[in-house]
Amino acid sequence: MTVAGFGGGLRHSRLQSILAIAAIGAAVALPVVLVGVGGGVSTHELNQLETAGYQIVVSAAGTHGIANAHRVGESIRGVNDVVAASPVLSVAIDAFPTGEGAQAVLAEGIIPDQFAPTLGPTESGLFPDPLPLGDPTDSIHYANGTYEGPATYDVLVSTPYEAEFGVGPGDRLLLGPDTNRSGATAYNVTGTFGVSLNLLGPTAAFAILLPLSDLQTMTGFGAAANATVPDAADTIEVAVVSSIATNPGAIAAVESQVQALFPFYGVSSLLQEAQQLESASAVLTGFYLALSSVGITVGLLFLALVLVRRVEADRRSIGVRRALGLPGTSIASGILRDGLVLAGCGAAAGIVAGILLVEALAAWTTGAVQEAAQLAWFSPAFLAALTAGVLGLSLLASGVATRTALRLPIPEALR
Amino acid sequence: MSAGGAPQIALRGVTRTYGAGRAEEVRALRGVDLTIAPGETLSIEGPSGCGKTTLLNLLGLLDRPTAGEIAWDGVSVGAGSERERGRLRLRRVGFIFQRFYLLPTLTARENVELPMRAARLARDERVRRSHELLGEVGLSGRERAFPHQLSGGEEQRVAVARAVANEPGLLLADEPTGELDSKNTESILDLLTAVQRRRSATLVLVTHNPTVARRAHRHVTMQDGAVVGDARDP
Repeated sequence: MTVAGFGGGLRHSRLQSILAIAAIGAAVALPVVLVGVGGGVSTHELNQLETAGYQIVVSAAGTHGIANAHRVGESIRGVNDVVAASPVLSVAIDAFPTGEGAQAVLAEGIIPDQFAPTLGPTESGLFPDPLPLGDPTDSIHYANGTYEGPATYDVLVSTPYEAEFGVGPGDRLLLGPDTNRSGATAYNVTGTFGVSLNLLGPTAAFAILLPLSDLQTMTGFGAAANATVPDAADTIEVAVVSSIATNPGAIAAVESQVQALFPFYGVSSLLQEAQQLESASAVLTGFYLALSSVGITVGLLFLALVLVRRVEADRRSIGVRRALGLPGTSIASGILRDGLVLAGCGAAAGIVAGILLVEALAAWTTGAVQEAAQLAWFSPAFLAALTAGVLGLSLLASGVATRTALRLPIPEALR
Repeated sequence: MSAGGAPQIALRGVTRTYGAGRAEEVRALRGVDLTIAPGETLSIEGPSGCGKTTLLNLLGLLDRPTAGEIAWDGVSVGAGSERERGRLRLRRVGFIFQRFYLLPTLTARENVELPMRAARLARDERVRRSHELLGEVGLSGRERAFPHQLSGGEEQRVAVARAVANEPGLLLADEPTGELDSKNTESILDLLTAVQRRRSATLVLVTHNPTVARRAHRHVTMQDGAVVGDARDP
């Protein structure tokens, strides 16, 4: 038995209770889904940045904006604590697999022995070691600042590409800058590389890898005869020695030295990017919570209405209790307890519903929604804080109903 | 003012107006003067709407007068805070309502225990006393019954047991037999007067039923919010 006995009302107004729990549950499910998925994606992206094999990126405005890529890479390699500086040129070209017409493919031009150290732990297992591209330093073809040396005409193809077009090691593959087959050159497929199943990033499923200078000359992004520029690249990925790879101060020092060498290029560290991502993630989480607070407010207003409605329905019982001299605190505690029970059940239902919804999205949808749902992470601390917040706010809702109960004139309540 | 027992009650110029200053203003009581000695059995009679229940509510501190004074044992209590008046009601007043007003979600024993719980009696003591009280009103063995499982007469017996649970000195009954047949009316009246005598309590009966009024030794008659008669049996 309860002194207030108000709790009996929960059993006697089951529909109202169910509706109140459903309203709060729906309000709670929203932040569970938004913050769970958003937080999971951010954490994943952050993890990607933190586990990348390189720590500093040199870039320039526009596509293929870095000129003198070989020389710039070499200069950066001269900076203390730098172990690799890998220029990367990405160009969409056309391939002509046997029996097929022109097929667009993403070509990445790299310097093999600079590229390998910039692979993170996840990626490195996907590539052969060493990379079988014939010219590890890209210095045979690109000799003495010219393209006069012999090209290797070696190429690696991705495993999805191999599976799709039946092109594998030992085969020859025609590659050209456009759909004109007569302008294409035959390359030797010397190996394959796997494609990371990492979600939410470019999968480069149909990609090929070839020496930087080969791609530059094929696409016209190499230096013309007697010219020193462009020797183009999109970015230069810089890896530092492992002893300072997680030391922000030391990385910042290397970054400054690189920036001093090339003041007109953008130089940023992945740690900076990670910090920016964390800031952006925090802003996004705040936005999700602000959005969710609207739903939670509506849910708690509904709870307040249900409790006030119940006070109205129980006005005679409340009047009898007060007539008998039961203190207001005992009546208030019954209402507060009911509010907490409803809010607690609603919060629990909302958390379960939110998690199940994300599980359903991960299982039954496709594309980016499914991938994001698969990365969702439900922080116990966040769920606990959300529940505590809802319970705390339910006290306000209960307070409204309690005030109504204690302001009922007893003679009127007994009528 | 003593902590327990029947209080000496004095009403001086008590007025109760509802909706004062508004178009629908109702003057339910108009300057009532009344003194009730401890242990008296008093009936308040009169036609519907004459202010009987309003007067009873004021006597039991359920309501506050618009003007005038209500004193118990010489101490003004009528204008106290709800908390003060609630404390007095809990310890010193027992109410019996026409429609019983048992709490439907509680058993007979729990209904009787309710005022004792509020008065913070130990559980063992509550159980013992509720058992005794239900026995006193003739409901031994019905402790676990819910109100909907009881007859009207049984419900009113539980209400009487609940009213005397904290041994109050003032019993206020508003049409206590209004919902009962004649056999149960006599039975409840016998019970009420018996519990009153055993406790030397004051009993105030609001009624327009002559059978009920006959149980009182003093008869206050009201009309239009004023006391128009106050007679004692010889």
